[in-house]
Amino acid sequence: MTASVNVPLNSRGKIAASLPAEQLAEITALFEFRRTGYSLDAPFYTDPSIFKIDMEAIFGQHWIFAASTAELPEPGDYVTVDYGPYSLIVLRNDDGGVNVLHNVCRHRGARVLTEAAGSTGNLVCGYHSWTYSPEGNLIHASAPGETKFDKSCFGLKRAHGREVAGLIFVCIADEPPTDFDETAKIFEPYLAPHDLSKTKIAYQQNIIEEGNWKLVMENNRECYHCDGHPELACSLFPTWGLTEGLIPPHLEEVWNRNKEAQSSLEERCRRYGLPYEVVEQLDTRIAGIRISRESLDGDGESFSADGRRLSKKLLGDLRDFRLGRCSMHLQPNSWFHFLGDHVITFGVFPINEHQSLVRTTWLVADDAVEGVDYDLEKLTYTWKQTNLQDKAFVELCQQGAGSPAYEPGPYMKSEYQVEAFINWYVQRVQEHLA
Amino acid sequence: MIELLTETAIQEPQRIRGLEMPWNRVMGSTETPARAARALGPWHPQEFMAECVETIPEAGAMMTFVFRRCDGAPLAFRAGQYVNVAFPVNGEDQEPVDRSYSLSSSPTEPWTFSITVKCDSTGLVSPWVHENIKPGTVLEMLGPVGAFHLPDADRRARYLLLAAGAGITPIMSMMRTIHSLPGHADVVVLYHGSDAGGFAFHRELAYIASVDSRIKVYYSLGDRSIPEGWEGLSGRLTAAMLEEVAPDANGRQVYACGPEGYLNTATELLKNVGVDDTSIYMEFFSGDRQTLLEYQAEVALAADVAEEIAEEIAESAEDYFEGQPAAFGLYEPGYDAEGTLQASGLPLEIVGPETPGSDPSADSPGGEPEAGSPDASSFDTVGTGSFTMSFMRTGINVRIDPAERILEVAQRAGVRIGANCKEGMCGSCKVVKLSGEVEMNHQGGIRAREISAGKFLPCCSTAQTDLVIDA
Repeated sequence: MTASVNVPLNSRGKIAASLPAEQLAEITALFEFRRTGYSLDAPFYTDPSIFKIDMEAIFGQHWIFAASTAELPEPGDYVTVDYGPYSLIVLRNDDGGVNVLHNVCRHRGARVLTEAAGSTGNLVCGYHSWTYSPEGNLIHASAPGETKFDKSCFGLKRAHGREVAGLIFVCIADEPPTDFDETAKIFEPYLAPHDLSKTKIAYQQNIIEEGNWKLVMENNRECYHCDGHPELACSLFPTWGLTEGLIPPHLEEVWNRNKEAQSSLEERCRRYGLPYEVVEQLDTRIAGIRISRESLDGDGESFSADGRRLSKKLLGDLRDFRLGRCSMHLQPNSWFHFLGDHVITFGVFPINEHQSLVRTTWLVADDAVEGVDYDLEKLTYTWKQTNLQDKAFVELCQQGAGSPAYEPGPYMKSEYQVEAFINWYVQRVQEHLA
Repeated sequence: MIELLTETAIQEPQRIRGLEMPWNRVMGSTETPARAARALGPWHPQEFMAECVETIPEAGAMMTFVFRRCDGAPLAFRAGQYVNVAFPVNGEDQEPVDRSYSLSSSPTEPWTFSITVKCDSTGLVSPWVHENIKPGTVLEMLGPVGAFHLPDADRRARYLLLAAGAGITPIMSMMRTIHSLPGHADVVVLYHGSDAGGFAFHRELAYIASVDSRIKVYYSLGDRSIPEGWEGLSGRLTAAMLEEVAPDANGRQVYACGPEGYLNTATELLKNVGVDDTSIYMEFFSGDRQTLLEYQAEVALAADVAEEIAEEIAESAEDYFEGQPAAFGLYEPGYDAEGTLQASGLPLEIVGPETPGSDPSADSPGGEPEAGSPDASSFDTVGTGSFTMSFMRTGINVRIDPAERILEVAQRAGVRIGANCKEGMCGSCKVVKLSGEVEMNHQGGIRAREISAGKFLPCCSTAQTDLVIDA
């Protein structure tokens, strides 16, 4: 990792405090004088020091999305997730809960688990075989001749983990923000009917995008660029993001189709007791959220060219395939689509100031059989294409931010959610620096 | 009497999730008595003699004939299937006439079974049947036959059952079956008839619908004139009618039975309301030549299978029942061999020959690896002790006493097994046991799942029997 700071990082103190006063003042000023309604200044996307602050103030403080239940269904199943310099082990314990452990051996600091996912009993570091229980306690370290070695002082560091409606969140902070409970109460009733505990992974895609994590999130929070997504445009109405009064004449017919589809979707939702209202609190709370259930074009069932289902097994206790998409955005690093036949989770895992891992996971009912109930290529086609297109857009912006000619541009009306994300981000960092 | 008339609020019953047919558990069982019950499994057609024990007149010129098998065995079938019956229409010494009739009873009451026959006065067989089949009549039958039936397990269990006229027969079997089983289900029945007095089973249907909140029944009077006081629907099947009785048809499995024209309309309408073709199952009660040929082929296949299986059972009943899933797979290729039973979470593989955990007597001798692997009897044997451990990769037999830890003895004999903590914590010595029993005292270094897959930690295990180890 690039480091523009000479001062060694104190693992217990704030990174910000370790920056030279002059540099910190400059960065603080960048946040303070951020122009509302405009994209961020270039250093937010290119400066390693700001990336460090992001890791500390955003990823080190908030509840962040790690994985879904389907990724660790059984006791002993784990995933390892990295957020910038942090590496965490998220492990299903014997009580059905989730243990979150820093993936850093307490002996010499080696990564304890090196696979992205797997299943384990105790955790054995590959270097000197220090062995930890699933709770992180050091239970074995061969110590010939040692007299004063106290194993109880060298357990793996723990972090917070929780599972809501089949989604697993982690928090590295000593004291996690408490308003996540409120956010969980908002989204749980939308997600519960899809019953993620009875899903399995059909496919998982990891893409490394050459772009700052904020550009990845910004790109996802608007559909102004959706002309660049021909596959997705089949199921999303081309009027997505527009409101009454903004409809150009050539889209009036589509707009009416959209309105009709939405009203029959809402009628079905009322019939089945499914919530569909838009809840939008992207920057008005710490655990920012946007959630809604919206109709899809065509048959309105799934992300296919004709809107038909892509998996033949309904999720959970859902009674109908025509449920459009329940879409959720959670600050800071995730978004989701919950459909009648499948679920797609998207997580952004920052690597450094100019690279991000985007992990997309397609979940289907756990009794759906590949090749019988779903065709993997068809299931994943739309979002595989869309992800690649998004990767290209993000990378174009990252390149732009590196140019001396770059200056922040205005967000358009349909990009108000991008502004909300940036506003949320700026607020959170300023609170942390204060 | 007064209590009987008092309205009492009764809560909904508590139910298990989804529907599961009772024979599933028998198939999954490894316990001997239950396993023997597999002989009764609804897995294959058989030829048998059956005696009529009761005739029940039904509305709509229909008659139900209740039978029991002459050999006393229950008749195992799936709700929706049919039997092929040889009727001696032209006298006992003449060639009988074969006809297929849907079973209308529930397979959960398997000791007797029923067919329900509509009398078509212009037909050759049905008038004869109505006239001649009485309690005591014995007939030759072949069955069960047919792929039109409820699944063996369904955690969603939401059905739309469409019947027209005599098409109610297999649908009745399905309803009786669901009504007799616990479990969550959501059933909508839409029953078309030609006149108000012609709905067979209507009293039982009304009863089931009134006591079973899972089942809703709708009647429609086709395109005939509607009598005074008719409270049902009217008119032929339309998309609007489907929408009215089952606005969530889209997410249901649809079973439809009736005359060809009715079913063709239904196919079209169901497609329009968004039902996937793979969710539609149909049984034709009258059809063109093509349909009839298909039924003939199905019956002929069932007859072949019945004969083949009867021969196999005659040769070696024990071998036959061991391998039964393969046999029914032969009848309905790829159908339930994995899908449905697996979906129910039952370990179907338990009865398969190669899976660990199956009855060792069904395996090849000693549970040895496949042909081509070395034979442990040719290995050198080292050490002393009451049991022999065969290390198949190393190619050595090591003697061991029941008190000794397997890892130490094996390592001493030169078997390479990585190990670290030697206390059952780190899991680094994990190996696969191909046969035999060990006693293991691990401390979290191995998962229950891994143990059931045949793995163990030799560092904290002792031998209980001779062992064959993949190391």
